[in-house]
Amino acid sequence: MLKPIHRKVSLVLIALAVFYLYLAFQLQSFGNGPIGTDTMPKALGFLLILLSVLLFFTKDKETEEEKKKRHIPKDDVIKILGVLVITFGYIFFLERLGFILVSFLFIYSCSLFLGYQKHIANLIVSFVFPTVLYSVFTILLGINLPSGVIPF
Amino acid sequence: MKKTWLLFLALFTMIVLAACGSADSSSDEEESASGSSDENWKPDQSIEIVAPSSAGGGWDTTARMAAEGFEEEGIIDQGLGVVNKEGGGGAIGWSYVAEKSGNPHHLFVGSPPLLLVPLNGQSEYGYEDFTPLANMISDYGAFAVREDASWDNLNELFDDMKDNPDDITVIGESSPGSMDHIQFVKIAKAAGVDPKSVKYVSAQDGSTMTNLLNGNADVYSSGVTETIEQVRADKIRVLGVTSEERMEGDVVEDFPTAKEQGIDETFVNWRGFFGPPDMSEAEIAYYEEKFAELNESEHWQETREKFAWNEMYMESEEYKEFLSEEKESMQELLNELNIQGE
Amino acid sequence: MGSLEGIFSGVQLAFSFQGILFVFLGVMAGTLIGMMPGLGPISAIAIMIPLTYNMDPPIALVLMAGVYYGAVFGGSTSSILLNAPGISGTVATSFDGYPMAQRGEAGKALAIAAISSFVGGTISVILLMLFAPMLSSIAIVFGPPEYFALMVLGLTAISSLADGSTIKALISAVVGMMAVTIGIDTQTGTTRFTFGNPNLLEGIDFLVVALGLFALAEVCALIINRKQTTGKNDSIGSLKLSKSDFKDMSGPMGRQSFLGFILGILPGAGATIASFIGYITEKKITKKPEEFGKGAVRGVSAPETANNAATSGAFVPLLSLGIPGSGTTAVLLGALLVMDIQPGPLLMTDQPELFWGVIVSMYIGNMFLLILNLPLIPYIAKILSIPRPMLVSLVIMFSMIGVYSISFNVFDLYLLLIFGALGYIMRLLKFPPAPFILAFILGGMMEESFRQAMTMSNNDITIFFTQPIALGMLIVGFLSFIVPILQSLRQKNKNAVE
Repeated sequence: MLKPIHRKVSLVLIALAVFYLYLAFQLQSFGNGPIGTDTMPKALGFLLILLSVLLFFTKDKETEEEKKKRHIPKDDVIKILGVLVITFGYIFFLERLGFILVSFLFIYSCSLFLGYQKHIANLIVSFVFPTVLYSVFTILLGINLPSGVIPF
Repeated sequence: MKKTWLLFLALFTMIVLAACGSADSSSDEEESASGSSDENWKPDQSIEIVAPSSAGGGWDTTARMAAEGFEEEGIIDQGLGVVNKEGGGGAIGWSYVAEKSGNPHHLFVGSPPLLLVPLNGQSEYGYEDFTPLANMISDYGAFAVREDASWDNLNELFDDMKDNPDDITVIGESSPGSMDHIQFVKIAKAAGVDPKSVKYVSAQDGSTMTNLLNGNADVYSSGVTETIEQVRADKIRVLGVTSEERMEGDVVEDFPTAKEQGIDETFVNWRGFFGPPDMSEAEIAYYEEKFAELNESEHWQETREKFAWNEMYMESEEYKEFLSEEKESMQELLNELNIQGE
Repeated sequence: MGSLEGIFSGVQLAFSFQGILFVFLGVMAGTLIGMMPGLGPISAIAIMIPLTYNMDPPIALVLMAGVYYGAVFGGSTSSILLNAPGISGTVATSFDGYPMAQRGEAGKALAIAAISSFVGGTISVILLMLFAPMLSSIAIVFGPPEYFALMVLGLTAISSLADGSTIKALISAVVGMMAVTIGIDTQTGTTRFTFGNPNLLEGIDFLVVALGLFALAEVCALIINRKQTTGKNDSIGSLKLSKSDFKDMSGPMGRQSFLGFILGILPGAGATIASFIGYITEKKITKKPEEFGKGAVRGVSAPETANNAATSGAFVPLLSLGIPGSGTTAVLLGALLVMDIQPGPLLMTDQPELFWGVIVSMYIGNMFLLILNLPLIPYIAKILSIPRPMLVSLVIMFSMIGVYSISFNVFDLYLLLIFGALGYIMRLLKFPPAPFILAFILGGMMEESFRQAMTMSNNDITIFFTQPIALGMLIVGFLSFIVPILQSLRQKNKNAVE
């Protein structure tokens, strides 16, 4: 019965709606009149439940081809997760190491990870692009990006 | 493929090492900065003034004009930069400066929301967490109505409000419990209106004046400057301002104060500068001196005139006392309004 | 009243050496800043403020105005090329602009955007010139009930943005609206759904959602579809528009110049709502709605015309009433105050050369924008010929810096990643992201104006049905929501019978 993917999705959405409603019912509603802080959230929560139930009972019209599309080969999952990890690293070190250095490492390693083999071109781009962007932001636009370990 | 992974590992280790190294060196810097605070302290790097709002607003203008004044008049020879840290009605900027504890090169501009936002439970940091350095200027609130409104003065408005509070919509920019709301309620309460009965609507998308003009709202609670142009064009009238005495200046001198209408209450929109927590005596003294010098300068005098700000200088100690009194009176009002943090 | 004299002195100002120089500098800076990640008109103006401190006020205003509409003009580039809308006003442009670029017609898409922006900008300046004083009364007609109705009207687009399942589109919109309830509630000052996290107090920034759902989700698709790396995508296609392209554009450009301008006048509505409503109306009018979302000429032309027309519209309340209608014009007003210019009802009589000078300079500025941008398109579109792995890295960095340069808060970057993941999952499950972003943009304003109206009327709901404008818009909104659903149901029944 739960085989079609949209039914699983529908259950996840109902769970989300219930959680959201639980929080909505904990909101204090003060102010004058029946329309308060919690009115709209409650309405949204119930609406989502209603729509999810409707979704649950819709007919599955997915073709084989579409199903295939949703299936991602293992290789690609690894790639996406890898990029995700590198991006996490980027965010984590952005304010610690500074924009130029982290961006340099990020562009170089991420492109390399995705299979870009021209090392010289890669090095040049990962150096020039962040440096230009950094200069434009800090010098021309007066927006300070984190300078980090590079002292300017 | 294997090679790539090795390379990654190497890169990653490099990054981690570099990050740890930098973290260490920056904390060293901070220590040495606060460590050198003997009798005479001087900034040893450029000073950053945080405006906890976007560019163009009141905090931002104050910060930029002060930075310009310090530089143009040669009061501070280090570089000064203004940084906008927008968000949470100021809370984002405050927590940023709070984290700079021990590094006196980061200041910010503060005004009544610094008291109100924490009282409303929307910021974990309040003025007590910072070092008040100097208050510089003051501004006041104004209550405006349409030109064809039936009220001629504040007393008529408030009397009407006592009888039919549901018929009068007050509009302001800030959310309930913050500036525009509180300044109105403070004066109204002194005139005998029940604070809770005031029907206040907040419009944060810039539509406050529109809603006054098109009749959706009846009273507009705002800063004095926002009303001047529409008063000149005879579209609205200002029933009262919250200052102690009449203000000086072209149009504003005609605005009656609440006080002269027999309502013994004022509301000051003060604006001054704060430093991070735990500043040493010498550091405070340094800034006090510099801000006093700025306050006396020609540049600052012109700035005040340009923006119709009033002089209101207070040095650190005096400022602290003033703030604690202000906080108490705000707390009282908020209690009565039943708006409380947490 | 000597308004002819005023216009004349305005023309003199706009055509003076300084006037032309600074409008040129303004639009150039504006387009460039608009193309930068995350920087839209609001930051563009804020950035220019310090530069204008010592300038002659009318010239400074000419410069600022140029920066403003230049930034709106430039904002569409990243929407079209990277599916990464930098400002809310160009989200609708990406719906058809990006598919068109993917089809190998990036040059054409950018050219359509540039020409439509030019036409929208120019026609609306003419309207501004002719009707500014008269139209100022429109700006103040709108109060909370009318805004609520307008937002409802905008939200009805959800049913027409549905690509396949209407239910999925609606779910997407509801979740989008849930996302916007996070943060401090403007009407009571209480916090909602922040889990005690101060970073969420201000709510989630629009850019985080837009770049996550669109740009980062697209990045995931780019990583996977490595087989398509070579081929169509690398070419930018010809810039030349065919006769039938022009024919397709003329309708939207004509209509949306007017509609966008009027929506721009309304405080708070602005370029975003204009671009969405422009997109929707054209989709409803056209005989080939099925082309929309797949790279339709009209689908690029309509929102680009509308958002530029709305930009001129926003000057009506600013210059004739002194009322800033949007965040951007509020910053602009702040900048004017610094220069000792107080826009208001008296500006036109007190300083006619300033009032008319700015308007005339806007014609010139729009000309410059077109002349500047068209020859640049081939170079800008070269971005697409960057090898896939490199493009992925650059787009991720671009999005990160776009978000960071607004909030300077690393927390928002993590949020961006979460929305990127959400966007990709939605794609896989065939939930359209467009209703999500539309509901996110309009939902907050809808709730706010609804509650403002209810407070004003002491909780009397008839306030929405007794005001003719509000009622009219609600009826149109209701019809445009229900009719497509009924139609699709009828279609289904027919199919079932067959």
